[in-house]
Amino acid sequence: MLQVCTDFRLSMKPFDIVIVGGGGAGLYAAMEAMKTNPGLNVAVISKIYPNRSHTSAAQGGANAALANKAKDDTVEMHIFDTIKGSDYLADQDAVEVLCSEAPKIIRELDNMGTPWSRLDDKTIAQRPFGGAGRPRCCYCADKTGHTILQTLYEQCLRKGVFFFNEYFAIDLSVEGSRSRGLIAMNIKTGKIEAFPAKTVIFATGGYSKMYWNRSSNAAGNTGDGQAIAYRAGIPLKDMEFVQFHPTGLRKSGLLVTEGARGEGGYLVNALGERFMARYAPEKMELGPRDLVSRSLETEILEGRGLDSPAGKYLLLDLRHLGADIIKSRLPQIREMCMYFEGVDPIDEPVPVRPTAHYSMGGIDTDNYGRTIMEGVYAAGECGCVSVHGANRLGGNSLLDILVFGRIAGRAAAEESGKFNPSAIPESEVTRIEHDLRGFMQPKGHYERYGALREELGQTLGLNVGIFREASKIRKGIEDIESLTERFSHVRVFDTGDIYNTNLLQALELKNMLDLAATVAAGALAREESRGSHTRNDFPVRDDKKWHKHTIYTYEEGHPRIGFKPVTMGRYELQERTY
Amino acid sequence: MSDTTIQHHVESRDVTFRVHRFNPQVDSKPYFDDYTIKLEKGITVLRALNYIKEHVDSTVTFRAFCQAGICGSCAMRINGISKLACTTQVWDELDRSRETGIIRIEPLRNLPLIKDLVVEMDPLVGKMKKHSNWVDSRMPEDEWGKKEFLISEKEFLTYDKATDCILCASCVSECTILRAHQEYVSPAVLLKSYRMNVDSRDGIHDQRLAGLVKDHGVWDCTHCYRCQETCVKHIPIMDAIHGIREDAIERRGTKDTSGARHAEAFMDDIAKKGKLVEATLPIRTNGIAWTVKNLLPMAFKMVLKRRTPPPPPLVKASKGIDALRKEFREMTGHVTKDHQKKSGE
Repeated sequence: MLQVCTDFRLSMKPFDIVIVGGGGAGLYAAMEAMKTNPGLNVAVISKIYPNRSHTSAAQGGANAALANKAKDDTVEMHIFDTIKGSDYLADQDAVEVLCSEAPKIIRELDNMGTPWSRLDDKTIAQRPFGGAGRPRCCYCADKTGHTILQTLYEQCLRKGVFFFNEYFAIDLSVEGSRSRGLIAMNIKTGKIEAFPAKTVIFATGGYSKMYWNRSSNAAGNTGDGQAIAYRAGIPLKDMEFVQFHPTGLRKSGLLVTEGARGEGGYLVNALGERFMARYAPEKMELGPRDLVSRSLETEILEGRGLDSPAGKYLLLDLRHLGADIIKSRLPQIREMCMYFEGVDPIDEPVPVRPTAHYSMGGIDTDNYGRTIMEGVYAAGECGCVSVHGANRLGGNSLLDILVFGRIAGRAAAEESGKFNPSAIPESEVTRIEHDLRGFMQPKGHYERYGALREELGQTLGLNVGIFREASKIRKGIEDIESLTERFSHVRVFDTGDIYNTNLLQALELKNMLDLAATVAAGALAREESRGSHTRNDFPVRDDKKWHKHTIYTYEEGHPRIGFKPVTMGRYELQERTY
Repeated sequence: MSDTTIQHHVESRDVTFRVHRFNPQVDSKPYFDDYTIKLEKGITVLRALNYIKEHVDSTVTFRAFCQAGICGSCAMRINGISKLACTTQVWDELDRSRETGIIRIEPLRNLPLIKDLVVEMDPLVGKMKKHSNWVDSRMPEDEWGKKEFLISEKEFLTYDKATDCILCASCVSECTILRAHQEYVSPAVLLKSYRMNVDSRDGIHDQRLAGLVKDHGVWDCTHCYRCQETCVKHIPIMDAIHGIREDAIERRGTKDTSGARHAEAFMDDIAKKGKLVEATLPIRTNGIAWTVKNLLPMAFKMVLKRRTPPPPPLVKASKGIDALRKEFREMTGHVTKDHQKKSGE
């Protein structure tokens, strides 16, 4: 099959759809496109095997008002919970699409083989989740994302989607306001290859890995799609909104899920105090996610954290639950603590700190995943419709990638016939080849990308993290600029063509640097506190001045900030209290 | 050594990683590089490799993605056993190692080598496609999304464990049959096939089963259990393989392959005599023509070496055969009952 594909590309006849990224959104788009029109040539280009994508890490589930568990649950209630959770920054028409498509998409996944857990009456099981008025989170044990991803990959194989596995997307080829297709590197051979395409869908996931070891994300969640689109002139939206999860493991940033606190775990500081008594005396450890994250950060900032070479941290103490409960109800968490922190929670408290784990911002799209560039779409965490606004609810991220992956796939399938892109010029391919060779030239003074990457994560965590203020953010922006300058001296020591991860990691760092500049610029511009974005110098939500989306366009290497109104609907602005 | 120190406030020591290296562009054959770094207790093998790549030798090449044991990218052989680098503690490996202070890192076996620790995964994907490793829904596509299938928690539990598979290919690497025959279907694909075959939503069970009983299929497995022993998600892969075999015999009889006929001949002998009638076993398994053609030279050699099995009439029933027959009937009775229960659902 690969042979067919290669011949096909040599004749330079464009693909109907090229999808960048093989996670939940990309695979759903591919499957839906093939379903819409089986005659289309649909290619998925992914830097890893699609079944490895980060969708697999989502454990909790996907929200849908199926009303299997709570008979009085409605789509309407799901819409309201989502809008309120977003701190009223979500576009209400988009949220309506998300929530009303939700039951259909969950059933569709069931119909194609996703192994949902079941209730006694044999319907799909649902459980309660944070910020939701009813138990509406559909799940498969604690491996929901993994099983959805497997199902979608299997169905794409069934439908004959062309997979270009281990291809690294580098650039969008643009002519005026139109795309000609994509240019990518075949990782296994090092060759730069053109993918002429009538339509391109970006579905490369989030960008939270820019916080590096202060992030729960996979190593590859470096925002490649957003960065490529941004540099090609497509605007990004709401980039300053990055969600932090309260309990990441100290060394790796990996997530200890809320279940640990749900079972009765304590958060403790260096003085041995259950410090949540200070911030949420009633709810204690089970306060809302952003509040708990801010509390942990405050303890650390005020000097009540514990110290280690891997950074300051606090403790999640589960010992009082006893070995039996930990082994029976939290087996995965125990395993994780032992694997990644070398600590058995039965005997020792677990070292934790807040960790960046979800990016609300992304490529600015309409409700069909369309960007301002003809024939270019985005979906999932890579895009920003926006349904999560300033803060995403648990269980809505899987739902987002499924619903909008599907919609973008269908839109591209229906619209691809309209586009007739010109051929990608050979010169673009040779220019990229030349640029990449440049990384490998011996330099008198050189930088290692590993160090820069670590410094980027550090400055973002310190200056553009949970608590933000003008002076700190400015320091962050300076740091990012100096890191970007230093990046031009990065030297790649692996000069081979085959599977050069050394080169890939350097390219990923460039993507993260470009996006970090937008996150910091937006954080500085938005002079209010809303959802995940907390400004010490502007502690309240300012609807008069700031009830609007931030839009970023790439101008001479820097982000230019503009604005876009929030689409309202039947829900008026209210104060967000729980 | 100070620049090669990650952390140093708890127990720490020097550890040598002996890493398999091979770059087909420049190397004619693989070799090993030693990297010695000072590490703190509690570090995983993947973190150590990342450290080596960032600070010591950036050309060392391996796959890694989620770093949390769910994506399956970083499977490699660590001290000879295939496992995930991200969920393996360096200290545990130091205890296991035969050479003090040294941890051996090699690529997975049974898949073509690309570079250093990276192997080609396409053969595995190809086999998944060949054996339709997807649910081919009984519901037509244009009906999708309208209503749920009603499925009992009991049915869910029949494939729950199998859906834990992250396709890390550790079982593929450890499989002893794949070492002999690259065409062999492989444990992961059998596991997935089983998972699809027990799913009531699937509509191509018989077709998938027909593919699995062909040459290099489910009957080639020799029950060595290496796949199950090494599975990083502790999935009982052999249960799935036995499940497919039982299903195949039940629905297709023993006509398909020598493997199925061999199993049947075994059962017959045990039921009748309590031991094997070895002289006729090849004939009953592969037929007289095959046996004469392939085994006659060996039979002569065996005669010369006086290693011939006794002729069938001389094979007497074992001592206590009555008790054994009773037990045998009871065991096969359980299996039959299980099958009736299953098909009754």
